[in-house]
Amino acid sequence: MSGWFERFRPYVMVAPAIIVFVLFFIYPIGYMIYLSFHEWDFISPEKQFVGLDNFSGLSEHPEFLKSLENTFVFTFFSVGITTVLALLLALWINRPTRFYGFVQGAVFSPHIISLVSIAMLWMWLMDPQYGLLNWGLELFGLPQSEWLASPETALYSIILVAIWKSIGFNTLIIIAGLQSIPPHLYEAAALDQSSRFTSFAKITFPMISPTLFFLIIMNLIGSFQVFETIDIMTQGGPLQSTNTLVYYIYEYGFRFFQLGYASSAGVILLIVLSILTVLYFFLMSRRVHYQ
Amino acid sequence: MAEIRFENVRKMFGEDTIIPDMNMTIKDGSFTVIVGPSGCGKSTTLRMIAGLETQTEGNIYIGDRLVNDVSPGKRNVSMVFQNYALYPTMTVKGNIEFGLKNRKVPKAERQKLIEEVADIVGLTPYLNKKPQKLSGGQRQRVALARAMVKKPDVFILDEPLSNLDAKLRQQMRSELVQLHAKLGTTFVYVTHDQVEAMSMGDEIVLLDQGEIMQMAPPLDLYNYPANRFTAQFIGTPPMNLVSVDQLPSAGFNEKAVEQIGFRPEKAKLRHFPGNDQFSMPCTILNRETLGSEIIYQLDTLAGRLFAKTFNEPVVDAEQLFVSVNNEDIYYFKENGRCIAPYLNRETPIKVRSTV
Amino acid sequence: MKTSRYALKGLNVLGLLIVIAIFATPFVWMAVTSVKSLSETITFPPVWIPETIRFENFALAWDTGPFFRYFVNSLVVTLSILVLQLFTIVPAAYAFARYRFFADRALFALTMITLMIPTQLIFLPVYLQFSSWGLLDTHLALILPFAANAFAIFMLRQTFKQVPEELLEAARLDQASEWKIMYMVMVPMAKPTIITLLLFSFITHWNDYFWPLVMTTTDASRTLPVGISALTNVEGGVAWHIMMAGNMILVVPILIIFFIAQRHIIRAFVYTGVK
Ligand SMILES: Nc1ncnc2c1ncn2[C@@H]1O[C@H](COP(=O)(O)OP(=O)(O)OP(=O)(O)O)[C@@H](O)[C@H]1O
Ligand SMILES: [Mg+2]
Repeated sequence: MSGWFERFRPYVMVAPAIIVFVLFFIYPIGYMIYLSFHEWDFISPEKQFVGLDNFSGLSEHPEFLKSLENTFVFTFFSVGITTVLALLLALWINRPTRFYGFVQGAVFSPHIISLVSIAMLWMWLMDPQYGLLNWGLELFGLPQSEWLASPETALYSIILVAIWKSIGFNTLIIIAGLQSIPPHLYEAAALDQSSRFTSFAKITFPMISPTLFFLIIMNLIGSFQVFETIDIMTQGGPLQSTNTLVYYIYEYGFRFFQLGYASSAGVILLIVLSILTVLYFFLMSRRVHYQ
Repeated sequence: MAEIRFENVRKMFGEDTIIPDMNMTIKDGSFTVIVGPSGCGKSTTLRMIAGLETQTEGNIYIGDRLVNDVSPGKRNVSMVFQNYALYPTMTVKGNIEFGLKNRKVPKAERQKLIEEVADIVGLTPYLNKKPQKLSGGQRQRVALARAMVKKPDVFILDEPLSNLDAKLRQQMRSELVQLHAKLGTTFVYVTHDQVEAMSMGDEIVLLDQGEIMQMAPPLDLYNYPANRFTAQFIGTPPMNLVSVDQLPSAGFNEKAVEQIGFRPEKAKLRHFPGNDQFSMPCTILNRETLGSEIIYQLDTLAGRLFAKTFNEPVVDAEQLFVSVNNEDIYYFKENGRCIAPYLNRETPIKVRSTV
Repeated sequence: MKTSRYALKGLNVLGLLIVIAIFATPFVWMAVTSVKSLSETITFPPVWIPETIRFENFALAWDTGPFFRYFVNSLVVTLSILVLQLFTIVPAAYAFARYRFFADRALFALTMITLMIPTQLIFLPVYLQFSSWGLLDTHLALILPFAANAFAIFMLRQTFKQVPEELLEAARLDQASEWKIMYMVMVPMAKPTIITLLLFSFITHWNDYFWPLVMTTTDASRTLPVGISALTNVEGGVAWHIMMAGNMILVVPILIIFFIAQRHIIRAFVYTGVK
């Protein structure tokens, strides 16, 4: 009767979503790759094909190289420190009482706050003259810091904010991983009179290592996209010390209208993210295999 | 109300033929039980009646209507699933009402029907509860009520009691039988439990690998098995089978039989051979006391045999004899077919059941 | 023996209090600053308790820009995204979970690829696209790219797949149409997942700064986070107390919601993060 419609039903059902994806995600990627081989300033009618010139230009462009370096430094420290601290914190506060629940909530709270507010709040905390952080340092008899105002410390200050914001989320994910470990494993270990360290090394760590792997990959993917804190707190400065890949793309595309340059930087980001994504799926398929 | 007719029905899943060629008529108003080992195609048969699977070849009739191309909802068949398959987000009432709403039954009539069936299955106090809040037996009743309220021509039930504990199962069995008597609708009931089949059905279809081994009322199935498979499937412990060439006396060979068989409960255990045609020395290997009855495992020249006796523990003796009355012996031909010597006919069942 | 146990316990509690302090102090400091006077913000060492509580700071912050406008924009954009997502996600997830059709795997793969593309990667080409369509600086530019959500489709598909086949068969025997099965049987069963996903979407887009920053040029379509960020360059130098007051307006409602529905929100994030 409605056999014709029956056959098309699935397509009708997926079409709206697929159209959005193609229009706003898939096609733009293609367009960006196309632009990366051209020179264009957004105003002139002509897009001039320049082959790989944009890429070779980038490779000699100190500002770009600096932004790449900063992105890697940011990623390395923020992801590394966040993961280690989150693991320790998770092992510590994974208890089912109300008080521990409150601690978990407090640790998690920055995650639901807009990065805008977090960035502005920390700018104030890190104010070199009147900021609370310098007051705290002085209280403990430590030397004060210039925080965001100095090229030496600005990037690390941004890293500190990133860690503060994401540690709670990471902690709770690890806690979820810890709670999914079957208790009987620990009971067996207790019967064997194994020490706390042994049961961590032999049971806990292997059991949550898949969770950790995925957190690390997700954090890597996330930290390559860092933008908000930079834009609000330092705008890439001082002296390019906090310029990152996405901020570079933003500036070259939106301030200097060098769309070819910006696009080829985008292609480089695409490549990095693709590698991480492939790694992610590779690990995912391995994990599925284990179960 | 309707009979169900399978005409040369064949069912394949991909390359595998699950049901090669099925012909049967399920009588109008009967309580027909389909029984057989796991994977023999019971559920598939049921689902073809419901229209949830389509047969590869052949015709299925419900009443006089050829239903090959009729969608499940329009066959006027109700199904009760093993896991109840209740809609978890709807109340008991919502579950029962859903099918009626889809059929555009007017509200007042729906209300009346729901009250009616809720009363029959004793669910009236629970109408506004969610199924998760009910016990297993109550959920089963909701599933029944949901099936009943549509006043179907045919009820099909796929192992509906297997998720219940033993006691509740017992109770639900008799409730179902009473329900069937009250409604008079055709019931097709699948189980792999032969006790359930024997105690509930007025007609049993025994399936093996998609083929009907025998279709008969329960007692006929027990007394007059058509073949070796039926003989061994029905009854616990199963019928003893002995190859003719393992028998000491040659008297059995004459009818070209391959094996003889007898039910453990017909075996007699004695200290002397007696003068039955079948009598063999044996020793007791093992004895299982089940209250009113005792099951013996016997070691004989013809291999291990079972004997079941009621209330008469045999004195432990070194040497015993197992013997069977002549009329309790079944003869099996090479192709597995059963013949009963006292009638000397190939298919004793039909003859007997019509007498 | 016993005393050392107590000492350890005390140490543990102290440690936990420090952890709480690390995450709570900044917010407390924000609150304290937001009711200070200008001169109280520029003293060192800082004062913890302001002489007079100046609630007028909130009014001052609110008046630095068209905040009501921003608020309405945020609301319109976020709610539109949620409604549109509801209408794109549910059917798509259902089709991917329950039907086999030509190219179903390819289309699902496309969805999964989208899942991995961050907005930071595509803003430039999408900006150019919107500019050629004349959609820049409109609500649509903030809404349309998020009208579907690959992640939500993936999650909801998992949920739909877990619904036992028998339930659908029962519904088919009850003469329910395919649409009815979807909306009366499947969607109610997936309600917790759908709510979780919408909550997640809401927080993401309510807080989003990057996309509206890139796509808007005037106050007509700017959202709250972008509007608030303008407080960093108020004329006449930085006014920390005004800045903090402005952010309080953004942060406090979310924090209140968070502490009321903490368990649900945390579950939403952890659930969407783990699976
Ligand atoms: N959708 C399907 N696709 C492929 N093979 C199937 C399908 N459904 C059933 N089968 C096969 O058909 C055979 C019969 O299955 P069916 O479910 O009818 O058995 P059954 O008699 O109900 O068994 P049980 O007592 O275990 O429920 C089995 O071998 C099964 O593997
Ligand atoms: Mg079955």
